Amino acid sequence: MLYRKLIAASLRSQMQYKMNFITSAATTGMIMVLDFVILSAILHRFNDVAGWNIYEVGMLYGISSASVSLYRLFAPEVNDFEKYVVHGEFDQMLIRPVSPLLLLLTRNLDLSRIGGIVQGVAVLVLSLAGLAREGADLLWLIVFSPIAIFSGGVIYFSMALSSAALSFWTHQMRDILTFTIYAPANASNYPISLYPGWLKWLFFTALPIAYMNYLPMLALLGKGGGWYYPLLAPVAAATALFLALTFWKIGIRHYHSTGS
Amino acid sequence: MIEAVHIGKSFYLSPENKGRFASVRTLFSREQREVKAVDDISFSIGEGEFVGYIGPNGAGKSTTIKMLSGILHPSRGEIRIGGYSPQKDRIQVASRIGVVFGQRTQLWWDLPVKDSFEILQAMYKIDSRTYRRSMELYQELLDMREFLDTPVRKLSLGQRMRADLAAALLHDPPVLFLDEPTIGLDVVAKTRIRAFLKEVNETQKKTILLTTHDMDDIEQLCKRIIVINHGKKMMDTTLDDMRRQIGLPSLIQVEYRQPPSLGAELAGIERLELSGNVLSVHFDKGKISSPRILAEVAGWGEPLDIQMKEPGIEEIIRLMYR
Repeated sequence: MLYRKLIAASLRSQMQYKMNFITSAATTGMIMVLDFVILSAILHRFNDVAGWNIYEVGMLYGISSASVSLYRLFAPEVNDFEKYVVHGEFDQMLIRPVSPLLLLLTRNLDLSRIGGIVQGVAVLVLSLAGLAREGADLLWLIVFSPIAIFSGGVIYFSMALSSAALSFWTHQMRDILTFTIYAPANASNYPISLYPGWLKWLFFTALPIAYMNYLPMLALLGKGGGWYYPLLAPVAAATALFLALTFWKIGIRHYHSTGS
Repeated sequence: MIEAVHIGKSFYLSPENKGRFASVRTLFSREQREVKAVDDISFSIGEGEFVGYIGPNGAGKSTTIKMLSGILHPSRGEIRIGGYSPQKDRIQVASRIGVVFGQRTQLWWDLPVKDSFEILQAMYKIDSRTYRRSMELYQELLDMREFLDTPVRKLSLGQRMRADLAAALLHDPPVLFLDEPTIGLDVVAKTRIRAFLKEVNETQKKTILLTTHDMDDIEQLCKRIIVINHGKKMMDTTLDDMRRQIGLPSLIQVEYRQPPSLGAELAGIERLELSGNVLSVHFDKGKISSPRILAEVAGWGEPLDIQMKEPGIEEIIRLMYR
């Protein structure tokens, strides 16, 4: 399979710079641990966030954190797409009889993000244990968690791909990612009900992070909302992906390349 | 094989914004200036032709090649490569063309050359018999055996270009687009690449479109020349016809110890330019040989240094407008 062959080639290339790989994996891991320590400190300080207790917030945080790491593991080059536009490196992905997106995704895997997934899952497990002690029914929470992480990964990927498509016009995407990835990733660690109306509206539409953890958890944690809320996660992910791919294809038509 | 009908490409430049959220402001910026990189160019290239596509820097050569190969979408006009549109049927076109950019390798930078070929085999779905035959042929013609196991980043420029050419031909495409394939190479490497391209064109009947700044590439390879400037086609003719129009412009620069006393101009010398002790002799290689010129200019003073210079494409365009 072409995907595996290309990924293997990229990993072999990365291994040429072993030291670099090891140090970056180590730093990412350390940053993740620090992040986690800070979060638990905050959660222990406030017992309750907008009516959600520490374990319930932990469910939101675990899903969001694992999702964003899943996206960054498989699509580091989408996150870093600016350089392909600015330096005209995207040229060589358009002359192959293969989808340019496949070529882009296989350029690199950011293995250091596995640390982030592990951390997210660990928070989920701790939160589930806490909820069990409170007497909650875990079955659907456990069944839903992987679906949520996968849907969330797709939602983050879609938002990033749309940002990358935008850079065909703007030639820059770092600022855009602040709005479309970094800010939503932080926001989705907490209940969406915390935020003012216009922001809430954004998280249900253009930046659809509410569907991956907040809405499903409303239903699964018995905080109100329809039984079908968890199903909205994969539906929202598929819709976001479809729209992002459409926008990406339109963007490619506007690719400028660079002068030789 | 290659059809371009009234193609054009415009770029819209907005003044660059700096500072916070610059990208967002650029997106909504209203002030834009249209630059026509390619402006209403048409041509038709038949199977097996070897065409030189020349013009000064910024004339629109690369933009044209990028539109033909499906990288850029033309703002106006239609393109057909073997009947397919590189924009609407990008995948079909991609498997029927080979592209080499002299400035940038298509190979996997950190991996041995051989690995790139194997990846391309999978990407273009080349069956193993065709693959083995192509590898045999190009290893032989391009003398690649010695560096097949070397990582691409450790190759010399000449070796890298040979590997890039083989990579572009691996799936046996009928059409080749070469953007400055000899740029930066030394004379030996250039000669080798030219011999290879000539062979591929003659024995395999590949259709080749080549851009270059090197007049020798054109003289030795191209039977037909398309000249563009400021995005417009200025000339589309045979090499022989161009020779008749402008001759074979060449340039020798001689540095003298003292300002020389110029003798009578010989037939075939276009123009003499003297600045200080340096004399530039523009001449037509078709009418007078370089040794003949050297013998003459040596008598005009005491030469310290003599250089044969490549005439620029700019010089050729100047001669065409004479």
